[in-house]
Amino acid sequence: MDISTIIEITIDGFARGMLYALLGAGITLVFGLGSVLNLSLGMFAVIAVVAGVVALPIVSHPLLAALVGVGVVGAMSLVVDQTLLTSVYKSEGEERITLGIFTTLGLEIALAGLLYVYYPQTYAIPYESFLIPIEGVAIRSSTLLVIAIAGCLLVLLFLFLRRTYLGKATRTVFQDETGALLCGINPRAIRTIIFVLSAIIAAIAGILWSLQSTVNVESAFQLTIFGILVSIVGGVRNIKGTIAAGIFLGLIVTYANYLIGSYFSMVILFSVAVGVLVARPEEIA
Amino acid sequence: MSDQTTRSGILPDAVVEFKDIAVVIGVLAVLPIIFDTTGTYQLRLLNQFLVFAAFAVALNIAFGHTDQLFLFVGAVAGVGAYTTAILADILGLTPWITFPLAGVAAGIIGLIVSYVAARRKMTVIVIAILTLSIQMAISEIFVGAGDITGGTTGMPFNGLEIPILVDAIGISPQMATYYLLAAFLTIVFLLYKWMMNSKYGLAFKAIRQDEIASEAVGINVIKYKVVAGVTAAVIIGLVGPLYAQTERYIFPAMFSFQAVDVLVLIMLVLGGIRTFYGPLFGAALIIYINHLLEDAGQWRTAVLGALLIVLFIYFREGMVPKVESFWETKSVQRIVSSISKRFPNQ
Repeated sequence: MDISTIIEITIDGFARGMLYALLGAGITLVFGLGSVLNLSLGMFAVIAVVAGVVALPIVSHPLLAALVGVGVVGAMSLVVDQTLLTSVYKSEGEERITLGIFTTLGLEIALAGLLYVYYPQTYAIPYESFLIPIEGVAIRSSTLLVIAIAGCLLVLLFLFLRRTYLGKATRTVFQDETGALLCGINPRAIRTIIFVLSAIIAAIAGILWSLQSTVNVESAFQLTIFGILVSIVGGVRNIKGTIAAGIFLGLIVTYANYLIGSYFSMVILFSVAVGVLVARPEEIA
Repeated sequence: MSDQTTRSGILPDAVVEFKDIAVVIGVLAVLPIIFDTTGTYQLRLLNQFLVFAAFAVALNIAFGHTDQLFLFVGAVAGVGAYTTAILADILGLTPWITFPLAGVAAGIIGLIVSYVAARRKMTVIVIAILTLSIQMAISEIFVGAGDITGGTTGMPFNGLEIPILVDAIGISPQMATYYLLAAFLTIVFLLYKWMMNSKYGLAFKAIRQDEIASEAVGINVIKYKVVAGVTAAVIIGLVGPLYAQTERYIFPAMFSFQAVDVLVLIMLVLGGIRTFYGPLFGAALIIYINHLLEDAGQWRTAVLGALLIVLFIYFREGMVPKVESFWETKSVQRIVSSISKRFPNQ
């Protein structure tokens, strides 16, 4: 394997890692904050793409279509938060966790069924990717776009949690719900904001994903699983860890994909997750 | 009336226990008579019902009684099916000989997972994610190791036939599979009944209520969780090859999370978690709903998803406990007693 191939694979892996990190952040935010493991996260990503493709003939520009996709998912997630999650948040502790798993799993399946009926094909936001040659290394423009947008988004998310009042309030709810309540923070409102935010992040991840490969109904659950694995490996309540884990796993999968094939790169990905779960289960609980 | 006598304790415990099993045997025996089984479609549905009922009982033991949310029922069943088929093929034996190895292979997976989970004090959510990851990895292996598994196209499997039944009594091969599955399910129910009435059931209850307190009174929490996990895994592993026999084929998609685990979960919750009849009723109802929605095509998936949401938010107790509590309400009891007064001779 020559050096330019290694660089190309590394950049591809890095881009994939950024997408993993976005999905992981989507899981981490909601799980860390409300103990809800959102199994329908990947579905939001796919719906953003589908909505964008449907809107494309009307808005007539891919970027606008992408924005429509993100907007649709944002609105949808708000509805889900106000209906399903309200029921989930009524319960406490372990019961909330199982209830969260099952209701979001139900939502995933229900939405998958609807997509099968109305939008059964594969979809992608149209983008003409071209090769950029730099010193003998050829990089696809879509890869650079993914890295740029995902990178900005992750930095913004990080700054939001660290620097803004809302972000600080969010972290307070992360750590101590009762304490936050006593400080005059409304945990339910914070949760709503975070849930919608996580759905929007997933939507953007889905649209970026579709720049390089098409998505369909089946992709949804797979994307959710990626998000969960990244979130676990990074430490479920840790955004920095999630980002690092996303990039790490993205590189591993891309290299394994190149060296030993796609199926077994997935096996490696899941094995890493199993290893982390066994090594430090208390972090996730 | 017999119901009241059993409740007053006149009948010995063994008979009371047997009553439930007798109901199961009765239902399983009567089903092929009620439904027209000349068509292979109906028989296939019945066989599916038996397969999923067995899965649901296994999940009831692991998840219901010991909080180990196994989200790899499909994968473990697949391991069982592939183990049986591939070993029979390689060794040139009849699958009947390799069939028990399905239980062994699955049991080993259950043993490792349950032991590690109990040892590391994993919560429900960690076990759920852990088993889901294992499910995904195993599914990828089924497809990826195409040289021995046949990849996505799979491989035909018809090894668990009972030619004696087919030839001697003259029933169709699928009918023979039905009886084979019915016998297996009966054994599973017997095992479940025995387990819950033994020290195991008692220990499960104690552990579920308070793990630390049960440890303090000398219950070996790890041991009991492992026993439950292994029992569930062995049942699931043995159902795998039987499931393949009903389909006469083994392919990865039939053991996927969406194809097995989701359904089994809905069945268990709908029927009633931690109940004896729950898995049976849940499986029957979901297979029936699935059949009704056959013409609806992909709407079926949407309906199942919506059903799961509604069930979990409003109906978590399940059908069997609801019916039982309804039965025990005063008004129903009054109606029943007034009816029985009118027929004093019965």
